[in-house]
Amino acid sequence: MARRHTVGELSYGLVIGTLAVFALIILVGPILIVLATSFTDSRSIRFPPQGFSFRWYELLLDEVRSRQIHRAAGNTLHVAVMSAGLATLLGTAAALGLSRIAGRGGRLADAFFLSPLVLPGLAFGLAALMYFTLLGFRPSLELIIAGHLVVVTPFVLRTVGASLSQLDPSLLDASRSLGAGPVHTFRRVTLPLIAPGIAAGGFLAFMASVDNVPVSLFLSSARTDMLPIRMWGMMESTLDVRVAAVSGTLILAAFLLMLVMERLTGLTRRMRG
Amino acid sequence: MLFRPTSPAPTAQASLRGHTLDVLGLGVRYGAFTALDDVDLSVRAGEVLALLGPSGCGKTTLLRTVAGFVRQNAGRVLIDGTAIDDLPPNRRRVGIVFQNYALFPHMSVAENVAYGLKARGEAKPRIAARVAELLEMVQLGPMRDRRPAQLSGGQQQRVALARALAIEPSILLLDEPFAALDRSLRLDMQIEIKRLQRQLGLTAILVTHDQDEAMSVADRIAVMRRGRIEQLGTPVELYDRPRTLFVAGFIGTTNRLPCLMEGAAEGMAAIRLPDGTALRVPAEAPPPPGPALLTVRPEQLVLRDEGAPGAFPVELGLALPLGGQVIREARLPDGTTLRLTEPRLGPIRDLGARAFCALAPGARPALFPNPLSEED
Repeated sequence: MARRHTVGELSYGLVIGTLAVFALIILVGPILIVLATSFTDSRSIRFPPQGFSFRWYELLLDEVRSRQIHRAAGNTLHVAVMSAGLATLLGTAAALGLSRIAGRGGRLADAFFLSPLVLPGLAFGLAALMYFTLLGFRPSLELIIAGHLVVVTPFVLRTVGASLSQLDPSLLDASRSLGAGPVHTFRRVTLPLIAPGIAAGGFLAFMASVDNVPVSLFLSSARTDMLPIRMWGMMESTLDVRVAAVSGTLILAAFLLMLVMERLTGLTRRMRG
Repeated sequence: MLFRPTSPAPTAQASLRGHTLDVLGLGVRYGAFTALDDVDLSVRAGEVLALLGPSGCGKTTLLRTVAGFVRQNAGRVLIDGTAIDDLPPNRRRVGIVFQNYALFPHMSVAENVAYGLKARGEAKPRIAARVAELLEMVQLGPMRDRRPAQLSGGQQQRVALARALAIEPSILLLDEPFAALDRSLRLDMQIEIKRLQRQLGLTAILVTHDQDEAMSVADRIAVMRRGRIEQLGTPVELYDRPRTLFVAGFIGTTNRLPCLMEGAAEGMAAIRLPDGTALRVPAEAPPPPGPALLTVRPEQLVLRDEGAPGAFPVELGLALPLGGQVIREARLPDGTTLRLTEPRLGPIRDLGARAFCALAPGARPALFPNPLSEED
């Protein structure tokens, strides 16, 4: 195509292109630096890395010397699976309920349920700690699960709500008119059509739980150590290169999960919902 | 895109025949808004009845009440003389073809058609046989494993029809079924639905805002307005003898001539046009003396070159020659614009020429009181 670009088009492309390059540098740069650093041969976290080795990954996998990290990772995984699982159940149920409340009341309830997304995590973490202590609970994984549940459920609510709003109500009418009761209709029509939204919400909730610092910070203890808190501790005390190795592992895991979810549900489409 | 239905199994045919629908004193209110106001309606067995009206007239509410999606505030709905008011939609056996077809996007064509049979817990071999039979009937056998998104609009509609017929409904409800089809396909589908309905002896209600659609498919038409049935009759009755100004204006094209009602005797009314022309027109229920409106169909007016009793002067406007006939605009001295159609026999009269306009012999104009509040 031989067509001439106007000055306006050119400058527009230039500005957009420059912004895109900046965004890439800011978003992708740190990830690449951490990944590169994790393969260093040196004993300290420093960029550019010196030499290339898997020694920090080997140390990370060492059951004796990395026991605390393993336990923290296990706790984190346990909490993430439980809180994301519960959030998926509760968030889906809540979204189904909210979709049936029309008008002002529904919008208010919706905003209320989504409020943990904007509530500062630190404030909620502190409040949860004071509240649970007041009720006489001792620190436990269950408390952390409860705390995470509050913070991650809105992700499910959001994605399932978006799926439901795209669900054509005449499909439900059609199902009813064809002789299917409400339960049959839900199982055969509603659920299959919102399943991608549920899966996407569960995935986002899981990632948010794995990544959560502020709530874990207040609710975890020495026995219920969580991975992000442990990593922060390691950074503070010794500049342990294993932190970079853990980060590398997390980045890789998240990337793979993301690919799987994109394949299954078109996740990026739903996050825009 | 025509499809020719093959004969369905005789059993299915027999079970579909002869259901009646009666609606008695039906009222539906949404808050302060009255969607249906004391509606009575009887649909005969094997008949297609169209609910015709502008949006918001209550036709969709009536359909949804019959289907069981809307609970009425007053009145009853009976199928074959039995009240179904307390039955949920899934136990009414009312088949619906939705405006957007509402096909299940995650199921194949065959699964869509089988849906109602599965929900009723029919045996697998019976479902398979019935689905094959129905897909054959709507000529979609080769498409059975496609998803709805892979079908054309006409094909989707045929799937929707087959799916609704699968449950052997006592009443078939068609909710603006042709609105989403393009014009050429629309007529084909109208003919085919009509043919299938005849063949199966189905009782059907067609909801539409398109008078041509109602005229071509329905045996009788109920013109609705503001939650009430304005007039119920055959298409010809509604066209020839509209009982209200609204019906006269909604069905077909009509001209409105302001006039003065002077008196009536023996089924004839004496009226006077603003320019002084006196006319005598047939009137079954003449309005009281005073300002009135005469409605005349375009084909019931003729143009003449010379004045005669009952002819009034007009100035000719645009002419649209449509092959064998001419659509012509004409303006009265008081500014009222008329539209008339005449066979194109001689040369077309010039724009701006003077002529005389009169009622054609045998014309059936209608006469209504002229309170401006009656206007929409």
